[in-house]
Amino acid sequence: MEVIQVSHLTKKYKEHLAVSDISFSVEEGELFAFLGENGAGKSTTINILCTILEKTSGEVRICGHTLGKDDDFIRSRIGIVFQNSVLDNKLTVKENLYTRGSYYGLSKAQIKERLDAVSEKLQMQEIWNRRYEKLSGGQRRRVDIMRALIHEPKILFLDEPTTGLDPKSRKLVWEYINYLRREKGMTIFLTTHYMEETRDADHVVILDKGQIRCQGTPAFLKTNYTSSKLVWYAQKSGDNENFIRKLSEKFSYDVDHYNVSFDGNITEFLYEHRDRITDYEIIKGSMDDVFLNLTGKEL
Amino acid sequence: MRGFIGFTKRNLSIYFKDRQSVIFSLLTSIIVFVLYLLFLKSTFVDAIEGAMQGLEEIVHATDIEMFANGLLLTGILGSAMITVPFNCLSTIVKDRENKIDYDISATPLKRWQIILSYFLASTISAIVMTGIILTVGLVVLSNMGDLYMDAIDILAAYGVILLGSVSATAFFMILMLFFKSSEASGAFFGMLSAAAGFVIGAYIPISQFSDGVQTACNLFPASHVTALFRQVLLTGVLGEIDATIGGLDNGIFVEELKHTFTFQAKLFGESFHGDWSAWYIAGATIVCLIVMIVLYARTYKRK
Repeated sequence: MEVIQVSHLTKKYKEHLAVSDISFSVEEGELFAFLGENGAGKSTTINILCTILEKTSGEVRICGHTLGKDDDFIRSRIGIVFQNSVLDNKLTVKENLYTRGSYYGLSKAQIKERLDAVSEKLQMQEIWNRRYEKLSGGQRRRVDIMRALIHEPKILFLDEPTTGLDPKSRKLVWEYINYLRREKGMTIFLTTHYMEETRDADHVVILDKGQIRCQGTPAFLKTNYTSSKLVWYAQKSGDNENFIRKLSEKFSYDVDHYNVSFDGNITEFLYEHRDRITDYEIIKGSMDDVFLNLTGKEL
Repeated sequence: MRGFIGFTKRNLSIYFKDRQSVIFSLLTSIIVFVLYLLFLKSTFVDAIEGAMQGLEEIVHATDIEMFANGLLLTGILGSAMITVPFNCLSTIVKDRENKIDYDISATPLKRWQIILSYFLASTISAIVMTGIILTVGLVVLSNMGDLYMDAIDILAAYGVILLGSVSATAFFMILMLFFKSSEASGAFFGMLSAAAGFVIGAYIPISQFSDGVQTACNLFPASHVTALFRQVLLTGVLGEIDATIGGLDNGIFVEELKHTFTFQAKLFGESFHGDWSAWYIAGATIVCLIVMIVLYARTYKRK
């Protein structure tokens, strides 16, 4: 079941076209990743889907309800972790979360019950009564996630949730996100700068200058938009180079091995020449390569 | 309703939990108090005593002192009525700057609830802070002497607090829309703190200024609020002074005091009479509320 359907979405700020005619859909329980450099239109798209910004044109349906018509319903079904912290510095973690919970019409007892359920997983007990401004970056992010989940949304929007976090905090945040997907079946809509974070995504969309450059599973994107590399450990010789040219013209020699870029499947070639190519590695293209090849930019 | 109450509580907490903010919001009041202790009181008392030639033996010195002390209280209340709501409402600017408004907009809270909540929190802050100042002030003054106030006068003083708080909040709600950053609102607050004491006549009675300056000061409802405080808090002691004089001066001395210390605001050379100031504040508040609703409806929608 598709929980988000975006059709020909466009957002214009006066003369600036922030998002241009994009269409995609997100399946229930999916980890959906939005990739793009700063200014590509990722946050604008998220803010439109979250009812914060008005779209210029196009149609968006979330959980079967139309954006612009059933916004209150949509707001009750989504949670957002913004790029920057949006909680109050002078209030404690507990005060912040209870206040935010009340915005969804939750009683104190309901909020307590929900927070109790997640505070242990996110290791929150020791910071419960600490002011938000006194927390470390990782602790803040965990509180932000709790805030986004307080009303038990169906879809969690994460706008670059791990930017600036130390590896331990990133790991903890990702463990919890994976737990939400696995145990709760929650749909995760992610924007990120970290390519490795899209590795486990079910669907990736690459956005550039407000337009979708490509979309699909990470495997599909790597296969179609990157070259794989054969590393063949062999001595440098004219005979070997002539042999490699049968596979690809793009190769180089490095210390003790040839690096050979190739497109498509080489299983047959390797099998045919199994007596000659005995020591080798195949390195598949990365999401960085996909992004670089499609946009000409590195993230 | 829970969301509305929760958001209002949040706005109140942000103001009251930040002790520095609370102290800074009372900065003008503190300055008025310190200046009073340093020289304002003696200046006021000297001016009053200079004006009562021939009545020195009749008028009780304690009544003159209580009048001067009462003037101090009205100055503190009038300035707090300006600076407290402004400080509390600066949350609007901070929320916009830190994109907290995005977070709030993505909840089921209605736009009108968000705006009303800011309004209510500021009004409550002003009522609480000035209410505390008034209560403490009255207790302290009652230990120093008699202000000759009855229960109705005291209730009226709290009524002025209510009216003044709503009025100041309505005015500053509009102003807040024009600040793009908390630095800008902070800089304005510095100017406001410096100017507030003059505008309401806490340092120098407004009557000492030219008609043009008096008009400029009295265009602000805050000046009328302070004038109302003077009427409510000091009419009793002036009545007592007048009774002590016993009609020897045909009431001229008390009338002169009322004129000098601006019991009736003056606008375009014309003095306000009776409860005109109350009506002026009410009218200005309604105008501000209408402008506020129009402006917020236009700016607080999804962009």
